[in-house]
Amino acid sequence: MKRPAALLAASFAAGLLIAASPLFSRGPASEFDVQGFSRLPLLEGGRIKPVDSFARNSLLMIRGQQNLPVDRQRLSATQWLLDAMFRPEAADTYKAFVIDDPDVLGLLGLERGKERRFAFWQIEPKRDEIRAQAEHANMAEPARRSRFQTAIANLDSRLELYERIKNTIVVSGSDDPVGEIQSLAKLLPKAMTAMHSPKKSSTASKKALKNLSETLERYRFLAQTAAFKPLPPQSGEAQDSWGSIGDAATSPTGSLEDRPGLLAYLRMAQAYKRADAPAFNEALRSFQALLAEQHAAAASSARSEEIFNRAQPFVSGMTLYVMALLAVFIWWGTLRENARAVSMGLLSAAVLVHTLGLGARVILQGRPPVTNLYSSAVFVGWVAALLGLLSERFHKKGFAAAGGAAVGFCSLVVAHHLSGTGDTMEMMRAVLDSNFWLATHVVTITIGYGATFLAGVLAFAWIARLHLLKKPDAETDKSLASLTYGVIAFSLFFSFVGTVLGGIWADQSWGRFWGWDPKENGALLIVLWNASILHARWIGAIRERGLMVMAVLGNIVTSLSWFGVNMLGVGLHSYGFMDQAFWWLVVFGIVHLLIAGLALLPRRHAYTSK
Amino acid sequence: MHPKNPWRKILEALSSLKLTLACLGLLMALTVICTLAQVPLGTHLAVDRTIRTFLVWWHPEGSAFKFPVFPGGGLIGSLLFINLALAQFLRLEWSRRKLGLWIAHLGLALLFLGEFATAFFQVESHMPIEIGQTRDFTEDYRQQELAVAAEVDTEHSAVTAIPETVLKKSEEISHPSLPFKLRIKRFYPNASLNVRQPSDPPPEATGGIGSNLTVLPAPLATGDDQQNAAAVLFEAVGSGQSLGSFWVSNALGAPQGFMVEGRNYQFSLRPRRYYLPFSLTLKEFHHDRYAGTDIPKNFSSLVRLSDPGHGEDRDALISMNNPLRYGGKAFYQSSFGKNDTLSVFQVIQNPGWLIPYLSCILVSLGMLIHFGLKLASTLGGSR
Repeated sequence: MKRPAALLAASFAAGLLIAASPLFSRGPASEFDVQGFSRLPLLEGGRIKPVDSFARNSLLMIRGQQNLPVDRQRLSATQWLLDAMFRPEAADTYKAFVIDDPDVLGLLGLERGKERRFAFWQIEPKRDEIRAQAEHANMAEPARRSRFQTAIANLDSRLELYERIKNTIVVSGSDDPVGEIQSLAKLLPKAMTAMHSPKKSSTASKKALKNLSETLERYRFLAQTAAFKPLPPQSGEAQDSWGSIGDAATSPTGSLEDRPGLLAYLRMAQAYKRADAPAFNEALRSFQALLAEQHAAAASSARSEEIFNRAQPFVSGMTLYVMALLAVFIWWGTLRENARAVSMGLLSAAVLVHTLGLGARVILQGRPPVTNLYSSAVFVGWVAALLGLLSERFHKKGFAAAGGAAVGFCSLVVAHHLSGTGDTMEMMRAVLDSNFWLATHVVTITIGYGATFLAGVLAFAWIARLHLLKKPDAETDKSLASLTYGVIAFSLFFSFVGTVLGGIWADQSWGRFWGWDPKENGALLIVLWNASILHARWIGAIRERGLMVMAVLGNIVTSLSWFGVNMLGVGLHSYGFMDQAFWWLVVFGIVHLLIAGLALLPRRHAYTSK
Repeated sequence: MHPKNPWRKILEALSSLKLTLACLGLLMALTVICTLAQVPLGTHLAVDRTIRTFLVWWHPEGSAFKFPVFPGGGLIGSLLFINLALAQFLRLEWSRRKLGLWIAHLGLALLFLGEFATAFFQVESHMPIEIGQTRDFTEDYRQQELAVAAEVDTEHSAVTAIPETVLKKSEEISHPSLPFKLRIKRFYPNASLNVRQPSDPPPEATGGIGSNLTVLPAPLATGDDQQNAAAVLFEAVGSGQSLGSFWVSNALGAPQGFMVEGRNYQFSLRPRRYYLPFSLTLKEFHHDRYAGTDIPKNFSSLVRLSDPGHGEDRDALISMNNPLRYGGKAFYQSSFGKNDTLSVFQVIQNPGWLIPYLSCILVSLGMLIHFGLKLASTLGGSR
């Protein structure tokens, strides 16, 4: 093998190894089988997922990160969840709540020093006040809320989530859940006889009845507050009728032995609270064995999803894209073939990891790759990176590779920031519940977005060359321009077809092909913009420079259509609503306008080259 | 034709690609205007005032004049269509190399025609129907009609309906089925109806509930889920003498009326009705949710379609993304209510509904051919 080829293969392999490394990390040491617990399936948000996903999404919503540092070690999301559910006295002291808003801090009487994260016990004294303020805020329309109102409503919903988690398996703070359920199981038949006996009830049975009703009340409370449903359906029940601990404990039928999951969870809770790792692990094993036997499909899908969560392919993808981009820069700087080989190896690895991640989501969710704003960001990057990698085969100057890596990286960063709102594999609302249309309209239009961004980034390269190169190289400029033109044509095709397919979907689902809804208008703008570029180039109204300026501005058009129209708050496409991103969008627009302005400046080294 | 012939010049200008670019630019600007206008106006009104019009008008507040400020969708669309057609025949050669462009532009022209067909011919209405109910008409909430019901017997009445468009234009309405004339005194597309205060001017209505009301015009509702409360004031005149003046509004529930020639007549302003030559009976309605949540998974209505004229009598299932198409109309699952016992269908009659499908196929095919040929020649040339 020649040296560059060997280097390409080696860097490809190294890239894959980097991506695979999170799978081998053990996480913080613990005598409890935390990983085993994190793989247990549960029902929440309408789908079966592992404990791990629920824990990560909850911690992400509460804290903005998927783990939590405590006393110089890092707790995983599942460890945090275990503490919150079974040792709330410890979890209440963890600094898990991010509070930025100065007015909210003022309300809580907390000072904002270096620390912007606070523990539940610091907030608890003002809990009622927060709830009252949040109720007040929730009466206003989201768009009309003040900054304080938005912040307090947000804090309230995070606190509520935390409180529900604490009261999911056991009533927060119970000492002896196993004893309690056993005595309930014993008491229940006695109470039944007492109720139905014609004799006047004795004081003893009256007391027993009173005890019983108190205990039942506690379980009813649990059934109401539970944040998730961890108990699989019993034989004879519908596939998706999973139950909460409270449901199972208050259900009148069956003995305790018929509910092995219930007892196992309570045993785990008790053992965890008493720091009895062997007992915890034993209860977990018994439940795992039951799941493997009776609910193999749910258990295995939960296990796969836990592995996917741990692998974090999109985080590894980000790293690899940056490395590939750096390698391309080194290649341009040194003009060495070896650097080129390394950059290609890394980019290929990045695209492969990105593809595997997308594929895993498709399989886990049973849906086409784009279902919400988060997944559209992941997909846009993938399209651009793949297109860049493929174009690089024909256009061996590194621009396509660098452009693909740059868009791939940026869109994964955007996706990462969009993931903080909760489960990224949420269920699709009725009108969107159509795999056929998600696979055709949504995917095609997102391919169009990805290609438009790639064209914009290629134009960056052209503009950079315009001002950085000491010696003009018309031939490379020209081939870069024809590459950009080709990518725009590609994008026009997909955005047009995607837009019209969207119209056809609308015709199928609510009877009008085109309603001039903001999201439709956004898509139309991309089509019109790309069509204008091609026609303007064709009649010679613009040349290379004009093409590049328009390609850069195309990024603004696309980002407005992708994110901007969601901020207007009108129309039927409410699949991604957000307000914080507004300022990022403004910054994005200004940066692009400046870059487009740079393209209009005369060549910096024009005179030196003469 | 001589090159200096003025017709030739006009043709040149109309078919020029510069005009194409200008139109594309204007259309982009108009799309942005339409999108932004939806925030204060709501989608329906914004589209009516920017897209489905030839000129976008600016109406300064408090002024009787309005000024055209921007070309509307109708104007830009027609120009683009003419430009596209002329450029195609005058400038684009017939050749295999240009085959893709021909097909793509033909598809595009069809898309324009489809949108014009929709603008002119589409009729949109709704059918709310409760479980067990049978309906043979649909209602348009955006238009009202004045219904005059003449009692035939205790169970039946003969209804004469006067559409909003007629109410707006006419001053006096007579109809062979009515033994009196209606003099329309006022018509408000949206009105505020309030109980008359002692300080208010004297009532304009002499009969019915309207004599206790003060009715004032109100600006049109802008939200997509808000409804206008239209109101009409008319005087009924029979054989030369007044039978009374009435305010009728869709916001007033109670029926109003009088006796003429021994017959009972009742008036109401109701959503305009379109009668169907067939009927639907709602048998079942299902509202499925995802397990353990309130997230809707699907809505579906099982209806009995009965059309004696064509010998049709069968069940049909209408669900999200699966409309029932029958008799030139499409019934879509649109909404629900009354604790899941009421289902609401959106009913669309659009003779051009197939055009976009055809157009999509043509444009995709054309672009594939054109860009495919180009890509092949670029790759071939670079090797």
